[in-house]
Amino acid sequence: MIDTIVLTQLLNGFILGLIYGLMAIGLTMIWSVTDLPDFSQGGIYIISAYVAYWTIILLNVPYFLAIPIGALAGILLSVAFERIVYNRLRPSGVLSCLLAAIALFFLLENVANALWTPKAKIMSVPETEVSLNLFGIVTSYHRIIIFIISVLLFIFVHLFIKYTKIGMAMRAVAEDREIAALMGVDTSKVYIATWALGGALTSVAAILISPLYAVWPGMGTLPLLKALVVVILGGFGSIIGALIGGLILGLIETFGAIYVSAAYQHGFAFILLLLTLSLRPKGLFGRR
Amino acid sequence: MASHSKNNTYLKKSFFYPRALRFAPIIITIIILTTLPLYASSYIVFVAAIALLYAMVAAGYDVLLGYTGQLSFCQGAFYGIGAYLSAILTVNYGWSFWQAMPTSVLFVGLVSAIIGYPALRLRGAYFAVTTFFLAHFVYLIFLNEVSLTGGPLGFRGLRPPEPIGPLSFESMTNGYLLILFSFIIIYALLRKFVNSNVGLILKSIEQDDILAESMGINTAAYKLLSFVISAIVAGYAGTMFAHFFRLLHPTTFSWFLSEMVVIITLVGGVGTLIGPVLGAGIVTFILEFLRFAPEIRYIGWAIALIAILMFEPKGLMGLIKRVGVK
Amino acid sequence: MSEKKRLGKKSIAIVIIAVIVVVIGSVLGWYFMMAPAAPRVIKIGYSAPFTGPAAEFGTNGWRGISIALEEINARGVYIKGEKYTVEVVRYDDRCEPTEGVAAVKKLILEDKVIAILGSHCSSVCMAIAPLCDENRIAGITIECAADAVTSPGHEYYFRMRPSMGLMAPLITPVIIDKLKPSKIGFLAINDDYGRSFVESFKKNFEGYGVSTVVEQYFERGATDFYPYLTAIKAAKPDIVFYVGVTPEGALILKQAKELGLIPEVKFIGSEEMGEYELVSLAGKEAVAGTYAISLWAPKPEIKELASKVKEKFNAPMHYAIVFGYDALHVLVKAIEMAQSLDPATIKDALKKLEYEGLQGHIKFESFEYGGKLFVNQGRWTPYLIRWTGEGEKELIGP
Repeated sequence: MIDTIVLTQLLNGFILGLIYGLMAIGLTMIWSVTDLPDFSQGGIYIISAYVAYWTIILLNVPYFLAIPIGALAGILLSVAFERIVYNRLRPSGVLSCLLAAIALFFLLENVANALWTPKAKIMSVPETEVSLNLFGIVTSYHRIIIFIISVLLFIFVHLFIKYTKIGMAMRAVAEDREIAALMGVDTSKVYIATWALGGALTSVAAILISPLYAVWPGMGTLPLLKALVVVILGGFGSIIGALIGGLILGLIETFGAIYVSAAYQHGFAFILLLLTLSLRPKGLFGRR
Repeated sequence: MASHSKNNTYLKKSFFYPRALRFAPIIITIIILTTLPLYASSYIVFVAAIALLYAMVAAGYDVLLGYTGQLSFCQGAFYGIGAYLSAILTVNYGWSFWQAMPTSVLFVGLVSAIIGYPALRLRGAYFAVTTFFLAHFVYLIFLNEVSLTGGPLGFRGLRPPEPIGPLSFESMTNGYLLILFSFIIIYALLRKFVNSNVGLILKSIEQDDILAESMGINTAAYKLLSFVISAIVAGYAGTMFAHFFRLLHPTTFSWFLSEMVVIITLVGGVGTLIGPVLGAGIVTFILEFLRFAPEIRYIGWAIALIAILMFEPKGLMGLIKRVGVK
Repeated sequence: MSEKKRLGKKSIAIVIIAVIVVVIGSVLGWYFMMAPAAPRVIKIGYSAPFTGPAAEFGTNGWRGISIALEEINARGVYIKGEKYTVEVVRYDDRCEPTEGVAAVKKLILEDKVIAILGSHCSSVCMAIAPLCDENRIAGITIECAADAVTSPGHEYYFRMRPSMGLMAPLITPVIIDKLKPSKIGFLAINDDYGRSFVESFKKNFEGYGVSTVVEQYFERGATDFYPYLTAIKAAKPDIVFYVGVTPEGALILKQAKELGLIPEVKFIGSEEMGEYELVSLAGKEAVAGTYAISLWAPKPEIKELASKVKEKFNAPMHYAIVFGYDALHVLVKAIEMAQSLDPATIKDALKKLEYEGLQGHIKFESFEYGGKLFVNQGRWTPYLIRWTGEGEKELIGP
């Protein structure tokens, strides 16, 4: 009896960790390539979830189509922010950009609030709510979907970074921006690509988790903070680190909530952060 | 020669006029604020008191953000710790406000020093994220430790500060005046601090901390100093709030408060000390004015914020400076 | 730092004009806000959360109030033979005490209202009740649940619905009679409301020999209830009270079903779960067969109000609407009884009146219960309902 509960939570924690990992990959890429911890991704998270929600409700689009549509919204917003806001503020320093990112997050959250009220909306996807019983573990089809899509995305990102021209350009800029520019890399194109990819990953993470959790304007804050912790835990700029860090956080949070304290479950990320910063500031796979 | 004499007269004019003019606005403002209870309703006095508290926290925060360049999000936490500790000491242990307040402030200073010591070694964004979490963690404590803080049921029964001689702080007016005068004193102290040699060192750290370090300045110590100072000011403001409002509830100390302080400081003008104070006044005014239009209150606000960041990152003070210098 | 250009004369002019416009606009706006009511207009204030996590309560309360307002102004309020109309000024308090105080102060001192309606969150109610006494203006809370709002009470502050501490003694016998549990559990939101709910129901059931075997709390906005439900499953209660708002309730029911808790264990929802919102969020299937404590019963008058709400706002029925509706009617009845606009006289009328509201029989009484003194507190018995397969409420008791 106890065993299946532990296994169920193991699976849940793992799935949660994959979501954190997705968002963290986006963040770590943006951060290492453009030098900005992009807090506005928290806002992108919110808006893309709502876009997906409304396309499902109003246009009767199937969930699997809503994912790329929501991701498109996320991509457009991220790139727009880069072109309109961050680009202008870059000469003023990282601090200005960071403050702008926070302000944009604040803006998006309040837009969602005003347009769609603070009341949570449930994204219902009957096709995937089917309950499954795997070896005594009760789970849903949806969690399997999350698993599959996340893994596919990880593989895609990995291949993209490693083998495509833009991916290599991104890595070059992340290593050393000035030298990359000297070598003829078009940094503004790289930035756009980075933000597009980051925005897409954040959006997909948000839309994947939405049927399990509610869609509401405040939904972005905690995932953003946790994704940042995962970025630090996994190591600045490391994609594999973001994945593994995400899994670690997901598992610790899930088990911590049951065995230690459900009220403080969001505090585990904080403890993990403190541990990382004091014991291994570079993170698990960090380079800098 | 012609240009030389022009420069001379320019210098003479700018030397005398601004000097006299510089003090006039401040004195006028102080007079207006002090006499506020005479002609304004207790609604305005109340709102002004809360705005002054925000201004206090924002000014302290500016020492950290504007003069050392460290972005932090935990003012709300220190404000809350100051408030709750003073409440617990006075209500549960029967301490006098005049004992509880300094104790709470010292405690906040201690906590900030302990946290700041390791945290400030982190580079900017890491530090910011850590303070984010700290604020949330402290909020969780306020919310969950019901036996200590009353949690969601609220902490009631707070008394105003004990009277000094015949001067009682029971009434809204006297409570407000106490806040006003402490604000003036704290602001003056911060001003002096920031204009002193120590302030210059802080500014140099903000400009380029690696360079400062290489010149032999112990940047870690100075960063810690500014962090502790901003925490202490926030903690003090918290104790003032606790005994003025006399009802503590975790929602008052949520993330929203820290967010507001950051925004106020930005809007007013980071690094100018007076900017955040003006920012507090303006933000409070606008939010109160828009109270009847709840749906657009915060959006209009967020858009204004973005506009400011994009067009005048130096906030209101930047705008004023641009207009003033001819 | 980059060098900014000095502003040219044109820009300065624009800035100055903008500043002048803003200042004049604000002054005018302020002036209009502050203008006392035109003659023959009764000004009433309403403080409620319209933003923030509790925004739906203010929005719904306002819906009830607006419909009542229409009805009242259609017939007019007659004081000493003169016909008056009513105006309600509403401000947002974000469910936060300092905002509530500012809002109520503004209503009383600037807008010069003669009575207050509000608020919805207990923390705000506790902060504004003393203001009503201080300014000698009567206030009726719309729905604050915590006992402390009317105990120890305030002369000028009134509550129609039974508070948390009173709900339990009123409805526990009904639950015991109809469902006969031997062990109960709680899954509650971690705030003033959730904690008081658990505290008082726990005690009342104990009085009937029913023990509480598990208690779990979650944060507002929480969405993953598996850890809590797992603990609850292990404790094996007959009945689980789940306390919170409908989005959480919907997720709780879904996740509880996933874990196999429903229908083995009877889930009884707090007042929010007796609302249609739950059905639309969770789906008729998930909700069917579960119970809830409801603040209104499926009476014909309620159905009438529900259709008006549907027509006017395209929104489902909600108890905050009922309470808002009743509150304004109660207040106006008091004004009519008092035949005066003097706040103190209105307060006295409120203390004496009885009114058959849509929620139940409203009467403000002062009494002692559980060692606490309640002042200006209503005491009608709440309802136990069960959701049918068609998403309708079935009255189980009383």
